[in-house]
Amino acid sequence: MQAKLNRTELDELAEHYALEPEGVDVLLDLAQARPGRRATLDFLARVLRIGGVLSLAAGIVFFVAANWSAMAVFGRFALLELVLVACVVAALIKPPPSGLGRAALLLAFVTTGALFALFGQTYQTGADIYELFFTWTLAGLPFVLLARWSVSSAAWFVVLNTTLMLYCGLNPTGGLLWLVLGASHLEPAYILMGACAVNVLLWFAFEIREIPSVPQWVRRLVISCAFGFGTWAGIIAIFGDEKGAAGALLLLVVAMLAVFFYARHRRADIYPIAVVMGTFIIVSVALLGDQMNFADEGVLLITAIWLIVTSTVSARVLVAMARDWRGESA
Amino acid sequence: MIDRPEVGELIATLRERGLLKSDTPLPFTGDNHRPWFVSLMTGVAGWFAGLLLLFFIGLTLKPDSSVMIFILGAMLLFAAWVMYRMDRETVFLDQLALALSIAGQCAVAWALLDDARSTFVIAGTVLLLQIVVFAIMPNRAARSIAALFAVIAWVYTIHFLLHPGSPESLFWQREGEAARTGFAWSLVGWLLTWGPLLAFAVYLTTRESVWMATARRNLARPLLSGLLIGLAIGGMAAYPLTWAVFGTEAIGIGMNWYALFPLLAIAMAVFAAYCAFQLRNLGLLGFAVFAALVHLSKFYFLYGTSLTWKAVIMSCLGVAMVGAGLLVRAKAAKEAGP
Repeated sequence: MQAKLNRTELDELAEHYALEPEGVDVLLDLAQARPGRRATLDFLARVLRIGGVLSLAAGIVFFVAANWSAMAVFGRFALLELVLVACVVAALIKPPPSGLGRAALLLAFVTTGALFALFGQTYQTGADIYELFFTWTLAGLPFVLLARWSVSSAAWFVVLNTTLMLYCGLNPTGGLLWLVLGASHLEPAYILMGACAVNVLLWFAFEIREIPSVPQWVRRLVISCAFGFGTWAGIIAIFGDEKGAAGALLLLVVAMLAVFFYARHRRADIYPIAVVMGTFIIVSVALLGDQMNFADEGVLLITAIWLIVTSTVSARVLVAMARDWRGESA
Repeated sequence: MIDRPEVGELIATLRERGLLKSDTPLPFTGDNHRPWFVSLMTGVAGWFAGLLLLFFIGLTLKPDSSVMIFILGAMLLFAAWVMYRMDRETVFLDQLALALSIAGQCAVAWALLDDARSTFVIAGTVLLLQIVVFAIMPNRAARSIAALFAVIAWVYTIHFLLHPGSPESLFWQREGEAARTGFAWSLVGWLLTWGPLLAFAVYLTTRESVWMATARRNLARPLLSGLLIGLAIGGMAAYPLTWAVFGTEAIGIGMNWYALFPLLAIAMAVFAAYCAFQLRNLGLLGFAVFAALVHLSKFYFLYGTSLTWKAVIMSCLGVAMVGAGLLVRAKAAKEAGP
């Protein structure tokens, strides 16, 4: 849906040539800056269908979360399993890339999670909540792979990162999986860097393979999650009292440099570089505050100036890169 | 304007059709277009820098009267205005100006509201301040931010016009307390709050070519951006009031007709997404979709007694939306022909 010119450029044209409203209408049409009736109908149809499927999925989750006492245990499971089977049958009849098949598989993915939640709720397995999400991530993967759809991929990454947040971020110190990290006595900053690394590696894999079902907007989601964890790890490393947390900062710097140089090498999207720069600004401000120990009001001024300078330099670098890359691709 | 082949083609076509009043060559400059995430990063950094500057000035100069604080704030705003005026292309000055502007606004609001006890007066003053900032700051980003905060201030102004209270109630009023005023009154409040804003957004989106042809474009463009962001997220601040996003104070009220309000908030976010699509603004479209999902979370958390009801509502809504989507798709296919 990209127009030939952005709104700022169109405003400049309209101003410079003192266009009348009729002229602006023609300008907007020529620049493909306004969707036609067909494009609008397509957009509405897509929004309604995706929104409807997500709403249905939310309805299923709400239903399970209700712990509906009026229904017997068998009935609850049967209901969800019927939904799951119906989704699979629908996907078999109209397999992806048809819209119905994709929507059915997305619904199947969500239903899988609801089924695990119901299982845990009914039998009180004692599992930690991250184990539910981890199982959901694994068991739902076939549906996501078969759907070959960006929305399903994004949903899977959201569930994966919820697992990572619960496992690495909240330190549950329980459950079977925790034995992997629990015995190692790793500092929280390192564990969070593990979550960052998982996302960074996935981002690299999908950047290199360029799989259609993981388009740019989903890869942006992945890299945002990566450096969300990275920034969290950096702040914990700076303000925490653990010894050796500097190593986590070093790992963060390595991840930042790797993503920065690879994205610069690809010259396709400046978003990952913007995320890296955002992480740098936040972590450097935290480091500045920590080193100066917030001793006096001068720290406030220095931090403000540092924020202005770093964000200005980042914006300049990003805008220059975007300009150069756009020029190359034109 | 950027020297690109598309620009030359457009100008040539407009000239052929006799639509150009002026025939002077276009002054080409470098492409300084900022993607939405760069604007977001600089905006957030500018905001924090502004608050830090304000604290620094407050601690260093220790202004002891409202008049002093007001003068200080006005000076900061004037400095920001001068910087925006001086050089519209320099990113550094833009950032510094944004920080000074934020610090100035906070200082002026602080001075004006030092002794205020009425929430209506507080919200109304902030609204007026944002309108003034919007009108005088010669910068699109500053105007967009002012428009967004004006929308939020408008929501609270209408709320406290209908339900006057003390400043404490601004933070601690519970959804349940607001709900006791009655559903009909809540609906009236919602319509008074959002009706004019929705109508304004429709007007600006559908009449784009009209205002683009006049100098109003310099105001209308950032106003539309701020308005759409406000419509997407503003439902969180809308009547009935909830603490922050879906605050713990508000969780657990019984399922009733008040469930309509978070659903209306979702509808507003979807409307903002539609307008963003009309403007070909991908960043705004993505933000509106994200806001709709946050509203859905609010709907989930806010009503604690009957999840079965929620499931029924969401499932019916889902079926209706999928059905409507299929109908619209069939219509589009029919119109496109074989």
